[in-house]
Parts: sequence; structure tokens; C-alpha cells
Amino acid sequence: MTLQWTVEQGIGRLTLHQPPSNTMTMEFFRELQALMQEIALLKPLKAIIISGSGRHFSSGADIDELLVSADHQTMLENYRALVLLEQLTIPVISAVRGVCLGSAFELALFSDFRICAADAVLGLPESTFNLMPGLGGIQRAAALTGKAAAIGIILRGDTFPAEDALRMGLVDAVVPKRNLQMISMAFATALPVNFVKADRVICLHKFLKPLHATI
Amino acid sequence: MNPIDNVTFEVLDEIGVICLDNPPANELVIPGFIPVAIFKEWTDSASLKGLIIKGAGKNFSAGGNLDVIFKTADHPDILQSLMRDGLELLKFIRHLEIPIVAAINRVCFGAGLEIALACHIRVASANALLAFPESNQNLMPGMGGTAMLPGFSGFSQSAKMILGGDMINAADAKELGLVDFIAPKDQAFEYALTLMQKMTHGRPVKVITSIMKALKNSSDLSQDEAMAEETKLFCSLALDEAMRRKTSEA
Repeated sequence: MTLQWTVEQGIGRLTLHQPPSNTMTMEFFRELQALMQEIALLKPLKAIIISGSGRHFSSGADIDELLVSADHQTMLENYRALVLLEQLTIPVISAVRGVCLGSAFELALFSDFRICAADAVLGLPESTFNLMPGLGGIQRAAALTGKAAAIGIILRGDTFPAEDALRMGLVDAVVPKRNLQMISMAFATALPVNFVKADRVICLHKFLKPLHATI
Repeated sequence: MNPIDNVTFEVLDEIGVICLDNPPANELVIPGFIPVAIFKEWTDSASLKGLIIKGAGKNFSAGGNLDVIFKTADHPDILQSLMRDGLELLKFIRHLEIPIVAAINRVCFGAGLEIALACHIRVASANALLAFPESNQNLMPGMGGTAMLPGFSGFSQSAKMILGGDMINAADAKELGLVDFIAPKDQAFEYALTLMQKMTHGRPVKVITSIMKALKNSSDLSQDEAMAEETKLFCSLALDEAMRRKTSEA
């Protein structure tokens, strides 16, 4: 399995598991899609937290595999996995430490909330190997940070620290590395059961900011 | 006066540089600074990867020449057609499929600011000053300024800036979302050129235009359509890159 799934206290824990850097293979996207279909039918969860196994969130797609098999149908299937994730009525939190690049950043951008450890490094580096983000990352980045800043990060394709991502509005909070799991879990627990996406910003102010301040 | 006498164009290593050249303040002889046809002719090259607009000398541009505007105001159809040409040029700039950056040193007023807002990215030097001063002359922005500004800084801040006619400095402009990057004093062009090189150097033109198209879709299409297009554009690039790798292995 390229991903692990457990439920703790009503919170689903989805862990990208392909050490050392949790590369997202075609197999991963298939498993993600199957899991998302299953979760939609499960008894209600309070929230889902996505994280990476080990030191990193994920280095993104397996480029060699992608270039061999990136036909439109495969890409649409991969994209569908992210859309299913987004369409869940359960709030989804990405808890990011280490690298979070390319498709992995796109996965995080499809979550409702992004909490980063201070050591997180993010980016959409596709253009540096003559590609572009292809799972909706361009649309999401533009919506969160504005077109001009999005042009800058996507065309340059360089990586940036969590603090820069926070300044650009691409992530919601930067916390000390040792507190990432605790804060993510506490935030997930604090979110209202009737969460709707329109309340995203209110939830950040009401539940994440105080946690951030007290810990 | 021939408007083309006041604008120059050169290509620096795949980057086109358009220079508003009417010192000291680079006033625009016609609001649109250059006919669309000439702009197209200059920038119509398959090898061009980006464009920068800057001003000659110390300033970006103080905007339109008021004498020209008041003189032509007697002939409404002439003034209207001048403004329409200007609008058409700014529309062309907004829809370019390669990135265009405004490099703003010091003064950037009125039509100068409208040109800058039509660009994809704005770099301002730390000593830049931006304003829509038209209301001080009992006028208003006439080349899309009132339509574009709220998209950057919201309705209320735009109302304050356009009605008040006051200058804002680079730091405040960044805070309001009018500029994207702040360069050291008088270094907007150098900063913009470095940024442009980082964004385009070594990238095939198709990678650049595909990304720009996908970004444009984020505001022009519905989210579902924009995402579907992004995936299509990606697959086309992946095919090219797979071929490129095969060829280099052979």
C-alpha cells in the first residue's frame, strides 16, 4: 500500500507512505480514489488529517512514471481522486512537514486547511522540467494568492519556506515542527460537526488562531 | 508628434523590453502610448519568452499629456477614438500569452498606472510613487483604471485612491495589492529582468504559454472548465517532454 489509513477519536488519518519521500505513483492515486469513495460511504468522520510518513510530506509525482503513462485519461483519473477528496463533506487538513512539492502541493491545495511545520518547503517545480502543474494546482494557487504571484512561483518553479507560503496566503499557519501533529489534531477536534467550506476563514480565526497562540 | 518616436523596443536575450521614452516624465503623447498594430509587430516573435515595460531615465511615466487631452476634447469623436485605441492596447497586453512585467521606478501616474495594472506582474522600486491624480484636474481615469483597480485593492480603497487623487508609496501599494514585488531604490528594471530570467530561462516557449493560458483560465473560465483545460495542457507538455527524453537517449 502506498497510503495508510487509520481512524483515531473520530479523526481519519491519511498517511502518504512511500519512503523515503512518499512519491505519488499511479498506484497511489488509484488507492486514494478508492479510499475516497469508501470514506464517502463510511459512518461520519469529524475530520481527515493528511500527512507524510517520516520526515517529508511528499516530493510529488513520480516523473519518470508520469512521462511514460501521462495520457489524458490517467491524468483525469488522478484529478478525480483529488476532486473526490474535495467533495467530501468532512473537513480535510493537510499537516505538512519537510518537502511538499508538485502534485503533493496540489493535494494540499485541495484540502480545506493547510498547517505547516516551520521546516516545510513547498513549491510547484514542474516548469523546471518542462512541465506544468496539471491537477488543478494552477487554478488553486491563483485563487489563493492572486494571478501575479502565481505566475511568479509557477514559472520560476523554485521552492520556498513555509513562512513565504503563509505570507502569500498559500497555507494557513506555520507552527513549530514538534507541535504540528498536536495542533493539527486539536484543530481537527475543535472544528464544528456541521462544517461547511464557506466557513473556512471563520474556522481559522475561531479555532486555529487560539491554538496557535496558546501552544 | 509621432507616438512611435516616444517608445523604443529592444530584445535582450529572449526578453522584449518596451521603453516609454519621453523624458523627463515619459508623458504619453497618446493615451495608449503606441498603436496595437506596432506593439504586435514588435512582439510577434516565436522566440520571445517575456516582456518588460519600463520608462526611460528616472521615472516610469507621469501619464497622459493633459494638453493633448484638453485640445482634442473639442472633438469628442477624436478623443474617444484615442481612448478606444488605448483600451484595445491594454486589452491586448492583458491577454498576452507570455508574461509581461511593469518595471516601475519613481513616478507612475494616471495612464502610466493603467498600463502597469494591465501587465501581469508589477515590480516597483522602493522609491516609486503611484497615483490616479485625474480628479485633481476635474477628470477621472479613462483607460480602464476605475475598472481594474478594485480587482487589486477592493472597492473602498479604490474609491479613496481615485477620488482623493493622492500619491501612495511602494510599500503602501504592495500592502494594497497594486504591486507584487518591491525592488531596491531605482532598481525596478534590474529586478524585473532577473525575475523574468528566472521565470523563462531554459524553458521552452510552449511551457511558458501553457502556464500563462492555464492562469488566464482561472479568471476567464468556470473552475471545472479551467481544471479540465489545465489537465489537457499538462498532457500535451508531458508528451513533448517524453519525446524529448526519448530523442536524447537515442
